[in-house]
Amino acid sequence: MIRIGVVGFGKMGRMHFKAARYVRDATVVAVADGSQRALDAAGRQGVTALYEDYREMLSSPAVDAVVITLPNFMHEEAITDAARAGKHILVEKPLARSSEECAHIAEAVDKWGVTAMVGHNYRFFPSVKRLKQEYDSGAIGDTVLSTLELVSGPLVPSLESRPIPNWYMDSERMGFWLLDLGYHVIDLFRWFFGDARVVHAYLDRHYGFPHEDSAAILLDSSSGTKGTVHVGWFSKQIFPTFDFRIILHGTAGFASTDQYTPANLRVHAALEGTKNFMRRITGRRIHPLSYTFYYPSYVEELQGFVDSVRTGSQPPVTIQDGWETVRIIEEVYGIATLSPALAQSASLGQREPVPQTERT
Amino acid sequence: MGSKVALARTRTREGNAAGSREIRDAVYRALDMIDYSPPTPPETVAIKPNLRFYWDYSTGETTDPRVVAAVIDYVRDRWNPAALISVVETDASAMRTRHAFPMLGFDRMAEEKAVSLVNLIGDEMIEREVRVAGRAITVPIPRTLNDVDLFISCPKLKVGPYADGNALHITCTLKNLFGCIGKRRKVVYHRHLDEAIVAVNKQIPPHVHVVDGIVALGTRPVRLGLIIAGTDAIAVDSVAARVMGYNPSRVKQITLAEREGVGTRRRVETVGEDVRQLAREFPKRGQMGFKLTWSLQLSMLRMYTRLTGDALPPALD
Repeated sequence: MIRIGVVGFGKMGRMHFKAARYVRDATVVAVADGSQRALDAAGRQGVTALYEDYREMLSSPAVDAVVITLPNFMHEEAITDAARAGKHILVEKPLARSSEECAHIAEAVDKWGVTAMVGHNYRFFPSVKRLKQEYDSGAIGDTVLSTLELVSGPLVPSLESRPIPNWYMDSERMGFWLLDLGYHVIDLFRWFFGDARVVHAYLDRHYGFPHEDSAAILLDSSSGTKGTVHVGWFSKQIFPTFDFRIILHGTAGFASTDQYTPANLRVHAALEGTKNFMRRITGRRIHPLSYTFYYPSYVEELQGFVDSVRTGSQPPVTIQDGWETVRIIEEVYGIATLSPALAQSASLGQREPVPQTERT
Repeated sequence: MGSKVALARTRTREGNAAGSREIRDAVYRALDMIDYSPPTPPETVAIKPNLRFYWDYSTGETTDPRVVAAVIDYVRDRWNPAALISVVETDASAMRTRHAFPMLGFDRMAEEKAVSLVNLIGDEMIEREVRVAGRAITVPIPRTLNDVDLFISCPKLKVGPYADGNALHITCTLKNLFGCIGKRRKVVYHRHLDEAIVAVNKQIPPHVHVVDGIVALGTRPVRLGLIIAGTDAIAVDSVAARVMGYNPSRVKQITLAEREGVGTRRRVETVGEDVRQLAREFPKRGQMGFKLTWSLQLSMLRMYTRLTGDALPPALD
C-alpha cells in the first residue's frame, strides 16, 4: 500500500484526495497546508496527520509519496524538498514556471532516484484516449492538420463562494499564463505528434487580467502534423459544459474528441449514475466520477502514478514531458505577436473598455 | 404621489452590441424622461454598479462601464459639473474589487472620466438594527453611502440563481444594494436574503436608479439595448420584473420592500418603450425550469453519491 501525503489542500488537492479513494494500493495518510481552514477540511474528511508545514510531513516515515498541488511558484522548492526526502512525487501541472526551474527539478529527481510524474490529466480523458487510439491505429491516415481548443479558467463558476486565489492573478507567482490551460493542449499536441516547434503565436486579452487571456498558436511537429491551438481564459461556462476538443484532419479521414464526448452530458450522467447504482447493489466496483465524463481522469492519472511507484516503472507522464511543455510555452512567448491592447499596456493591469465593435 | 419610470433603447441591438455613443444617448433620454433634479446641486455623488464576480457586461452579469460613464456625464452635464463622483462597490464572498475594477474595464473608465473607484469594505461602517417583517436585522452600511449628496444605483437587468443556488430571483436595483453591505462574506445573509435586501434599502435608498439592460440576462444573455430609469426602487424593480416576464406582486423582495415603505407600485407612470414588447424579447427563466435544471439535479446528485459512494468534484462541493 502506497501511503500518500497531499501537499496543498485547495481545489486541486481536494480533487486528488477524492480520486485517491478509488485508487488501488494507495491511501492518503497525511495532508499539509498553510491554511488552518484547509487542514480543518482535511480533518473532517478523516485525515489525522495534518501539517502546517509540508517539510514536517516530508520527514515522516509514514509517508511514501506526495501529491503536490501548491501554487506554481512553489513547485520547484517543494519537488526538490520531496525528492531529497526520498518521497515519490506526483506534481499537479505545470511542472514549474520556467525551463530553469524544470532543470533544477530534473536534477534533484535524478539525484535522489525517486519516481516523479507530472499531472497531465487531459491525457486520461476518455475522449482523448479514444482519439489517440484511432490516431495510432492509422484509421485516419497521416494527420496533416490538427486543431486543439481549450477555453476554461477561473471564470468558470463554483458552488463554493471563495475568491480566486491571489497567486492566480499574479504574473510573478503564476508564471506565464499559458502554463495554466495552454499547457494541457500543448502537451497533447506533443503526445500525439512528437516534438513541437512554434511557428506563430498571437496573444490578446478581452478582460483586464494582468496578462493575456486568449492565444492563437500555430505549431509544427516532428511527424509533420501542423496544429492550430486556441486557448482562452475568458469564459463563464457552467458545469457540466466544457469547451475542449481536438480535431484531426488526416489523409484517410478525420476524427475529433467531440465524436467520443457525450452529446448530452446530463443524459450521460443519468446513464452512468444508473450503471454505478447497479454495480453498487450487485457488489461490484463503481466507476468513480464517470458521470462527470472528464473527472475520472484524475483517478486514472493517480493510479498510473501509484502503479509506477509500486513497480518501479516509468510513470505515464515524465518530468521530461513537463519540462518540454514548459520549453514550448517559453518559445511561444519568445516569438508571439501581442495585440495592440496588450502591447500598449505597460502594466497589463488595465483593460481596454472598448466594445468589440470598436476594436481594430 | 406616484413616480415615473422611463425606458429607452439603443438603436443598434442585433449582431454586435451598441457603441458608447448610443448607450450614452439612451441613458440621457431615460434620465430626461423621468424629469428628476436634485434639490440642490450635489457636491458628492456615489454610483453603485453591480459587479458580481468577474464576468463582464457581455455575459449579462455585471453593469456595463459605458452605462456608468454615461451616468457620470449626465450628472456633470445636468446637475453639477464640479461634483465629486465615486464609483463604489464592496468585496464579496468570491469577488474582490481590486480585481473586478480592472478586469471589467472600470479602471480605464474611471481614468477617462476622472472619478474615483472605491472599495467600500474599507469604509467606516454604520450598524443599526432595522426591523423587516418583524425580524431585527443589523447589516454594516458604509458611511459614505449614508452621507453622500446623491446616491445612484446602476444595477444590471437579470434573473439568476443565488443564495447558494437555492433561489431564483430577479436582480435589479433592490438586490444591487445587497452589494453595499460592508462585509465580504455576504453569504451569511443568504438565509434571510429578501429581508437583508430590504434592510439595506430602508437605510440608504438611492435617489436615482439607472438600470443597465443593454445586455440583460434570462435563460441566456440577450441584447435588449435597454436603459430603465426612475427614482423609486419599487417602481423601477416592478417595471424591470414585468420586462423580464414576472408578476411583481409575486416577487417577494418587491412586495416586502413595499410593505416596509421603501417605495410604491401605486400610480407608476411608465414612459418610453413598450414593456410588453420587451417582455416578448426577454428569454424568461421560469421558476419550475430553474428548480428542475439546478436544485433538483443537485439534490439528486448528492443522493446518488450517498447511495453509491461516488464522489462530487470540487466544483460541486
